[in-house]
Amino acid sequence: MTAVTVAVPTRARNVLTSEWIKLRSVRSTVLILLFAAVAAVGVGYLVAHAEANHWSAMTAAQKAAYDPVRDSFSGWGLAELAFGALGVLAISSEYTTGLIRTTFAGVPRRRAVLAAKTAVVGVITVLAGELIAFATFFAGQWAQSAHHLNVTLAHPGALRGVLAAGFYLAVTAWVGLGLGAIIRHTAGAISAMAGVVLLLPQIVSALPAPWDVRIGTYTLGLAAQQTIAQHPQAGYFSAGPSFLIVVAYAAAAIAAAAFVITRRDA
Amino acid sequence: MIEVCELTKRYGGAVAVDGLSFTVRPGRVTGFLGPNGAGKSTTMRVILGLDAPTAGWATVNGRPYQQLTRPLHRAGALLDAGAVNGGRTAHDHLLAIAASNGIGARRVAEVLGLVGLDSAAGRRVRGFSLGMKQRLGIAAALLGDPPVLLFDEPVNGLDPEGIHWIRGLLRSLAAEGRTIFVSSHLMSEMALTADQLIVIGRGRLVADAAVTEFVRQSSRHDVVVRSPRGGDLAGLLAGRGAEVTAEPDGGLAVTGLDAAAIGDLAREHGISVHELTPRHASLEEAYMEITNESVDYRADVPDYAGRAAR
Repeated sequence: MTAVTVAVPTRARNVLTSEWIKLRSVRSTVLILLFAAVAAVGVGYLVAHAEANHWSAMTAAQKAAYDPVRDSFSGWGLAELAFGALGVLAISSEYTTGLIRTTFAGVPRRRAVLAAKTAVVGVITVLAGELIAFATFFAGQWAQSAHHLNVTLAHPGALRGVLAAGFYLAVTAWVGLGLGAIIRHTAGAISAMAGVVLLLPQIVSALPAPWDVRIGTYTLGLAAQQTIAQHPQAGYFSAGPSFLIVVAYAAAAIAAAAFVITRRDA
Repeated sequence: MIEVCELTKRYGGAVAVDGLSFTVRPGRVTGFLGPNGAGKSTTMRVILGLDAPTAGWATVNGRPYQQLTRPLHRAGALLDAGAVNGGRTAHDHLLAIAASNGIGARRVAEVLGLVGLDSAAGRRVRGFSLGMKQRLGIAAALLGDPPVLLFDEPVNGLDPEGIHWIRGLLRSLAAEGRTIFVSSHLMSEMALTADQLIVIGRGRLVADAAVTEFVRQSSRHDVVVRSPRGGDLAGLLAGRGAEVTAEPDGGLAVTGLDAAAIGDLAREHGISVHELTPRHASLEEAYMEITNESVDYRADVPDYAGRAAR
């Protein structure tokens, strides 16, 4: 066995430890992750089950477009909101209580605090996100197995889709964290996060063609869908470029937060 | 030591602190007094590097706070006892703050004992009384055993026992040679706790003096005398070494002689006296007087007491 040692300077380690204690010591963290897991696995199972039951009534075109992977992730919207809220709360709870002043008095380098929060929230949500993604995938396949529509992870694109789905939950948490640092109010930041993650793709989808697709391919939600789906929808970027768009949303939110965090009074 | 120099802080158009300069020295409790809205909390936030000054600067032990590494070992602060996440236990709350400066769980247990919260360490802060939250905030300030401590209104919401406890704590911390900077809007509280007073109003320095000096200057006792022959009486009183000043309404304010001596003196010289009233200005009144012009929002209280006396 080889041990992986990461050399982290003492000061950075201190801030990381502090942020890890904060995240693990509030109940909301576990509750939000539990809610996301139940919602994602539950809704995914039910929708996949219902879709599979329709198989015999489907047209040939519908059968061709049938995506056993994407159908499993039908409850992902709720998980996205939950993870986004987790990211928001990681910093907005400090602003609303005034605890952020204690935090910044302890660590005057505010970007170090933001970086530590980004890292700690990232590790937790990537791990939890992937765990939920695999559980959701297997539950969804089990629901479709009665009609033999299920696939395994070895199926082309399946493993990539599951990994992307899990990572996407971490991205919504990072977007939430960035918005929380910028807006500094829990309700406002959660609304903004929900707007970016859920509402924006829907609004763009309602635009007249070809703008729905041209703009839609750049929205977080629709780009994420292309990374999860087995085959990208017509007109949208393929999984690879879509993944870069998804990552760019997280990077932009954190970068904007880093920009404002030192420029405002705490 | 804390130094504040020509500090100005504006929020939009409102001036919170206006060219404020003072020095807080070690080994004593320095009271930071002013009415609500005078700029006390703003000043403390600037000292801690939380708010950026519009002009001027503040240092802690000669260095800007933001430049301190592991600052909890250099300065500790209680700004707002309510600034806690109610879902966290007292222990976890302190542990998170401690960890950011490399301070371990043993010191957390120590400060919890120091403020008398050891039995509540595992309880969520949501259920704490304001007094317990104040103690928790003080525990957080003490984590790094710092030589400089800032407390913003630490006695707010405390019961008499808690106030007594804080007073003793502040005095003992100062006796250890630390710099203790405590804000309050209550003169009576500071008169009992502080050695030095820095009084501000509307963001400006109003007074910076030792408490004893402040008391001597401010709490003057005098006697108001009214007489149809005020001029003659004033001359006689001055001859006896009293200090006499004319009041705007024609009375004489006399210090240095008590009411009995003034009355006897007037009688000896056949001067009739129409009023002879000893006046005692408390420290509280003196403070009200010097900060009066600098109160932002003041309720006009009808002078019922004055009317009843007439």
